[in-house]
Amino acid sequence: MAIERLHYLDNLRALAMLAGVLFHAALAYSPLMQPFWPLADRSTSAVADVFAWFLHFFRMPLFFMIAGYFSAMLIEQRGMGGMFANRVQRVLLPFVVLWLPVILSLTWSTEWAAANVEHPSAVLKIVREWSTMADPPQLPPGTSHLWFLYYLMWFYILQWALGSVFATRKRLQSQLPLWTWLIAPLLLVPSLLSVTAPHPAPESFLPQFWAIGFFGFFFALGTTLRRQPQLLDALRRWSPGLAISSMLLYIAWLYGLRRLPPDPGDLAAPWQLAVLGAFISLWMTLHLWIAGQRFLNVQHPWLRYLAAGSYWTYLVHLPVLFVIQYGLMDQAFGWLTKLAISVAATLAICFFSYEVLVRRTQLRRWLG
Amino acid sequence: MNSLNVPVIKRLIAKDWLLFQKQMAAYVLTGILSLCLLGMARPWSFYIGSLLLIIVLVATSCFAISTSLINERKEHNLAFVMSLPIAPLDYYLAKLIGNLVTFAVPFLVILIGTLAAILLTPLPDGLVVYSLLIFGHILLAYCVALSVAMAVESEGWNIFVMIASMVMINPFMMGLSQIESIHGVIRGEAIIFSSAAIVILTTQVVVSLLLLVGTGWVHCRKVAFY
Repeated sequence: MAIERLHYLDNLRALAMLAGVLFHAALAYSPLMQPFWPLADRSTSAVADVFAWFLHFFRMPLFFMIAGYFSAMLIEQRGMGGMFANRVQRVLLPFVVLWLPVILSLTWSTEWAAANVEHPSAVLKIVREWSTMADPPQLPPGTSHLWFLYYLMWFYILQWALGSVFATRKRLQSQLPLWTWLIAPLLLVPSLLSVTAPHPAPESFLPQFWAIGFFGFFFALGTTLRRQPQLLDALRRWSPGLAISSMLLYIAWLYGLRRLPPDPGDLAAPWQLAVLGAFISLWMTLHLWIAGQRFLNVQHPWLRYLAAGSYWTYLVHLPVLFVIQYGLMDQAFGWLTKLAISVAATLAICFFSYEVLVRRTQLRRWLG
Repeated sequence: MNSLNVPVIKRLIAKDWLLFQKQMAAYVLTGILSLCLLGMARPWSFYIGSLLLIIVLVATSCFAISTSLINERKEHNLAFVMSLPIAPLDYYLAKLIGNLVTFAVPFLVILIGTLAAILLTPLPDGLVVYSLLIFGHILLAYCVALSVAMAVESEGWNIFVMIASMVMINPFMMGLSQIESIHGVIRGEAIIFSSAAIVILTTQVVVSLLLLVGTGWVHCRKVAFY
């Protein structure tokens, strides 16, 4: 059965995925990430921090909201079994097939960089030190940047389980009043309180409470919006206000982060940062959803191409980015030049590989 | 022997799945909660998480059998089933597969989750063999209770067997703690299948299969439901 095309969601999803490439590339030049990120470069700028962490608040939430919407649409059109069959093919299979190559290539490039780079990051120095040990510590394997596929599978299972246990025909009011949306971010605060600020990627194979609570909220919101698209009606005219408020709150968040910088030993975020983060995440995500409906509901061949290729690009971009940014570490360029080169080269290689390996082959069915 | 009435068997299995889906979903939810507790990597959460996992598994197996077999018998569903164009073997197969499916979904989700929790986190990998033996015991206890429920009509005997086989997990765990080649490697990083572990695990699987085949053989010989 053919699935209806919602161009604004295809385009929004592509933007969320491609924003991920930009986000991961910017981390190398973030002063905040210097102690944590293997690609941390000696050229840094606070601008990279300002830019990257703002993206971080709504990039994946928006993606999960879109995924929730599409899963509800699949259940509507194909039933629960049909949804699972489709998701196994499009989500689980790519995860299972790509996980090992991604981990191996990230490990290989990091080991190479630790041995060869002249200006290594703090993490690379540790890797270099470990490489001289007879019995170096072993880190448990994680899901890397593919964690979103792993969590999507958990959300599909939860969607079935919660839907079976709490099956109800009740629906929310046809339109939620504005004040509901204004206080809704408070639901996200417990999740953000239980991790460091900015929240990390939940890469462990064991499901994390905070990630289920945080990203699961957006997934559930997406499924609800499929059934009741009019829920956002009261919010539409206030959408630009949400964006402006989010930006103002983000300035406050940055100020808070400067006063309370994260420490590797932290287990939880300061409550002020958690509250601000919750409001920025939900409001910006809602703003983008509404703006997308208004401005991105268009169909152009190049937008279609971008939307189709963005999934594959996101899946394979990190190993490519690692190689490129390790290669740039010893170069004497400024951070902006390095950022531009690494993003452009990563996107070029990923889209070229999409053209050669996916678009013209049977892989298009899974990854196109 | 008459050929199997596959469409009716499929419908009976689907009926069981539909009826028990809600409870199975609740068990899966509890299983996910347990895995999240294990994921917190604190001693208290590991203890509660692993205890909850065992409770969920025991509850799942008891629920499937008591609802789909014992309760249906009490409600005289067999009288209705006899009006369908099926033989006793068809009914047996539908009940067997329906029960196995409703048990297997949470069992496999929790088994895979537990193995992933051990192998992919800082927990010692030596726990793998011990965990498999626990899961093996639950599988065996389930097969014992299922076979008895399908062969014996007495509700009292069924409840006794169900509780006894599941409660045996305690002495079983105590017994494992006495076997050095199993208990001694739990805290290590190597996954060691000692000969004792292999014998126990093989026995659990083989006896489970024999029980199911044996019950099937008894039902094969039946020409009438009573």
